[in-house]
Amino acid sequence: MKYYSEFMRSLKSSEFTISGEIDPPKDVNPDEVKEQVKHLKGTVVAANVTDNPIGDVIMNTLAPCVIMQDLGLEAIYQQTCRDRNRIALQSDIIGATALGIKNVLALTGDHPKMGNHPQAKPVFDLDSVQLTGMLRKMREGSTLAGTELENPPEYHIGVGISPGVEPLEPEIIKLEKKVKAGAEFAQTQVIYDVKILERLKDEASHLDLPILPGFAPLKSIGMAKFMIKYVPGIRIPEETMKKLEESKNRVETSIEIVAELIAAARDMNFSGVHIMPVGMDIHVREMVERAGEI
Amino acid sequence: MIITRQKNLEEIIGMLQGSEKVAIIGCGGCVTFYKTGGRKQTIEMAEKLREKGIDVVATGISARQCYLIEEKEAEALDDSEIIKKVARSIEGLEEAEGIDAVVSLACGVGVQNLANLIDTPVYPAQNTLFMGRRRVEGDFDIEQCIGCGDCVLGYTAGICPVTRCAKSLMNGPCGGVFNGNCEVSQSRVSEYDVPCAWIHIYEKLKANGKLDNMRRIFPEKDFIRATHMRKVEVAK
Repeated sequence: MKYYSEFMRSLKSSEFTISGEIDPPKDVNPDEVKEQVKHLKGTVVAANVTDNPIGDVIMNTLAPCVIMQDLGLEAIYQQTCRDRNRIALQSDIIGATALGIKNVLALTGDHPKMGNHPQAKPVFDLDSVQLTGMLRKMREGSTLAGTELENPPEYHIGVGISPGVEPLEPEIIKLEKKVKAGAEFAQTQVIYDVKILERLKDEASHLDLPILPGFAPLKSIGMAKFMIKYVPGIRIPEETMKKLEESKNRVETSIEIVAELIAAARDMNFSGVHIMPVGMDIHVREMVERAGEI
Repeated sequence: MIITRQKNLEEIIGMLQGSEKVAIIGCGGCVTFYKTGGRKQTIEMAEKLREKGIDVVATGISARQCYLIEEKEAEALDDSEIIKKVARSIEGLEEAEGIDAVVSLACGVGVQNLANLIDTPVYPAQNTLFMGRRRVEGDFDIEQCIGCGDCVLGYTAGICPVTRCAKSLMNGPCGGVFNGNCEVSQSRVSEYDVPCAWIHIYEKLKANGKLDNMRRIFPEKDFIRATHMRKVEVAK
């Protein structure tokens, strides 16, 4: 097997692989990207760049990917179906790979109604399974229309899974389809509950697919309550909430919670973890180091 | 059924500026069944417009405004004759002459059909929303079909993912399922709860022992069948 990316090479080795995540800036100033890269580099093998999460207008995915790779950190280019049809998706991929992208994460994407332009026309020409298939087909040397790509793109294809949703079975069926369509790794929706990790391990173990559970620090009680109330598939154990409520140092506590989750994933033999710093990129190294001590 | 909701009166009055003799034509089809443009609503519309000073000289109702008379037949008639032929009078239509504006309470298809037959301007009194049905309990009209041109209901337990999934996903639910509902319908961004179509499809397929339908990969949809300006040959 040929590995196009350092991230995939790491996943296929016995190394516990850690990916991070970069939030693109809200305007044209690239300094925020550089700052985040500085904090993640050396701790994570690669970092995702999100594609307009919840549909808010921010910097596109590709620009931070390129800035990041120029600074020596490998990018995982997130691509969603929200606002591009199959023509735009394919031409973006051709452009992204021409600029050195080696990992792509294929996602459905949030509905525009969730963001700050709710009037926008939702596209969803393809869904995430079809997008996964499109990415494989392009790598094999053809567009969806069958036209030949003489120099096809070279990258590894990742997908998402939300292991906390109820019922889980349709989500697992969809993940099986993504594997059939060409998925080579998966990263999950954010998880706070070890029970969800255990369930994911049980339900997805039949798939030959490296899965990286996603973790994010709970920065405040308000954030935790918002997540529980509005974000699908999120469960936060009472014990964790109690820890946060009683904490004298929330930053310290949130680092500790993520560290415990990373250690739990490692002990369950997951291939690695995906850390979404949500603004706490400066503390990611600490989360990982702390997990090593558990 | 075609689901419609009446426009606000101010917009209708705005369209009628400069018109002197107005006729209002309801429709005996979908809008009658769902009480947005039938006989009763036609009479009410006339009253409301008269209160605002519009000279409504006649009201009538057509059986189905989406199917009136052949264009060839209309060619030989003047506007007044056509209107009398395609609508049954509720009040004054038989005697009405010199009508210079027609307000239609039909759906967009009915409005265009009538507008195609006569030179007198036809104004819509409705916003046409979607193809749907009234829920048994009667508190909501629900969209059921977007007319994608490639029906998948046979594989999806009679529930349309193209219409009932906010993202028209073809291969199962996204991560936005919240307590069985679509997150797009949650209270933060919507007035109503809408169940996730794919969870509904999953449960029904499972109950019928047909869960394998969900395991097949649906390829990219062919939107040539679903894009605008569609027409097909008449079925013989």
